[in-house]
Amino acid sequence: MTNLILDFRIALRSLFQHRRRTFFLVAAIAGVTGLLVLLNALSTGVSETMIRAATTLSSGHVNVGGFFKVTSSQSGPVVTEFAKVAKVVEANVPELEHWVHRGRGWAKIIADSGSTQAGVTGIDIKNEPDFKRVISVVSGRIDDLAERNTIMLFESQVERLKVKVGDAVTLSAQTNRGAANTVDCRVVAIAKDMGLMSKFGTFVPIETTRGLYQLRPDTTGVIQLYLKPQFVSESAAVAGRLRIALERAGYALMDSDASPFWMKFQTVNREDWTGQKLDVTTWEDEVSFLTWTLKVISVLKVVLLTILIAIVITGIMNTMWIAIRERTREIGTLRAIGMQRGGVLRMFLFESFQMGLLGTLAGALAGTAIALAVNAARIQVPLSVQLFLMSDRLHLSIHVSALTQAVVMITGITTLAALYPSYRAARLPPVSAMSHFG
Amino acid sequence: MTHIVSVQQVFKNYTLGTFVVPALRGVSLDVEEGEFLAIAGPSGSGKTTLLNLIGCVDTPTKGLVRIAGNATETMSERQLTRLRLHTIGFIFQSFNLVPVLSVFQNIELPLLLQRSATTKERRARVEALLDRVGIREYASHRPSELSGGQRQRVAIARALVTRPKLVLADEPTANLDSVTGTNILDLMKELNRTEKTTFIFSTHDARVWSYASSVVRLADGQIVDRVTAEEAVRAGGVPGQPSPRAT
Repeated sequence: MTNLILDFRIALRSLFQHRRRTFFLVAAIAGVTGLLVLLNALSTGVSETMIRAATTLSSGHVNVGGFFKVTSSQSGPVVTEFAKVAKVVEANVPELEHWVHRGRGWAKIIADSGSTQAGVTGIDIKNEPDFKRVISVVSGRIDDLAERNTIMLFESQVERLKVKVGDAVTLSAQTNRGAANTVDCRVVAIAKDMGLMSKFGTFVPIETTRGLYQLRPDTTGVIQLYLKPQFVSESAAVAGRLRIALERAGYALMDSDASPFWMKFQTVNREDWTGQKLDVTTWEDEVSFLTWTLKVISVLKVVLLTILIAIVITGIMNTMWIAIRERTREIGTLRAIGMQRGGVLRMFLFESFQMGLLGTLAGALAGTAIALAVNAARIQVPLSVQLFLMSDRLHLSIHVSALTQAVVMITGITTLAALYPSYRAARLPPVSAMSHFG
Repeated sequence: MTHIVSVQQVFKNYTLGTFVVPALRGVSLDVEEGEFLAIAGPSGSGKTTLLNLIGCVDTPTKGLVRIAGNATETMSERQLTRLRLHTIGFIFQSFNLVPVLSVFQNIELPLLLQRSATTKERRARVEALLDRVGIREYASHRPSELSGGQRQRVAIARALVTRPKLVLADEPTANLDSVTGTNILDLMKELNRTEKTTFIFSTHDARVWSYASSVVRLADGQIVDRVTAEEAVRAGGVPGQPSPRAT
């Protein structure tokens, strides 16, 4: 132990003696770590925003949806006798925190000054406390969605339709039997945009979707399962298990397809079957058309980090070679007076480790400070970026685990980068090391 | 008397490109415990090479080197390092102190490498040596803050701190002025007498021969003779060297 402390002490003092060189290298390591922390914060922030938006607007962590076909070419997003399905869900998903059911549909929204196409989601606002918490209402009252034939629109839709709270709009859609139907709704709330998904989504009471599509009261569009926070990352496994449970309970299930429900109509309509088929999906499936954003950030992160880490490795190796050349006589002396090769190896590895640790800690702190400052500044992002970030503001999410991971990873890399130079230093014959000049 | 050092028919060649340069040519030497032996000779005569072989920091091309009963040719690198740590102390011409450690820490270093002494024992031994070499007040100084003579005293204390059987000093006075050099030799001699530590030092300075119990004179990689200090001074140096001026 005392030997380790000695090696550690010599390494630390050597770094201090070469302050200028140490400072530049530590700064470079800090820069790379800070960038990694920020990129992680960005991708985590986007991911969290995406999960929040997706699981608020159009999906649970796991969904049991499905299609009902009156004829083989005419399908609707309907789950019949949903209470029975929910019982199977409750019995087979211990990770479940709560579930809600929502109506699904697609309709034309017609106002006096314009019209737009949008998804129509039927909700029971009294049973959706999370929805009320996440949606930011700029005008009207979200609780009024409890009244029949009301509608909540998003700001961008209101701009297109040129309506305000209290105005009437007409929803026009085709029922599952192919008949045209309309429902008049009163605008009761206008919500702040939540990225791409809010451009094409509106919310009405679930009775309104049933009325619009002429469905029975025991039907719904989808059962959305919300898992306990610690199980959210296991959504896919839960979905897989639920599929088996539903099949065992006698339900017909669609083949697994990682796409949102509205992209499945064409496939379903081509298939030769009638009646009910259930479809189990995760939130990632329902927003799979958007998750490329995360993939792009991840690829960008990997490419940038690979380049920067290569630079750091080169810097560390060069610095170690210089340090070893400068201290060759010292190495020879230490070996002569009885330091084993392992001691020399440890000494230089400690030096690199200390630089790495110092740099990564500084970088992690700086990255965290920048991320907190960005969040505090509530930076508004351009509309085109909003679509993909699913938020109107830039949100960077810092987690202690991600910070620890960054510190451990970069410190590990910088230490390993010194391994070969340190090994070579340890292998120097004492006699030639002691007679080294330069 | 026991031989602390026994060198038998040792050859050492260095290769410079395609040339093979012989540094030692069939050297044999026995050193008894408690001796204060000088290895004398002009530059290039093989003094440092011989000390390196005795110090186990280099290996002979041919021949046997036995240190404190250990046949070094059969020992691994690890064993040789342990032998150096426990049996041999080194004093270098350029002091070779660790620049980032204080005087105290430099002296303590071999004890830490040995891992045998407690903190208290280490402190006691280092402080005793600091007193002995007269640099107690510089214990917390860095080597760069000391004069050449003070640095060499630190090096002597470091060499002695493990109570080695053998101390090797390569031109210990070469970088010192004559007064400081004399003081250092007085100190080494006193430690040799009181601690019974064997000292072998190389020098090309004939003024320091008088301190030695015997002088081995080298020329062109071979031992010319082994004489007492008085005989060496009287003989007028080694081949190729001007006559010494006795001090």
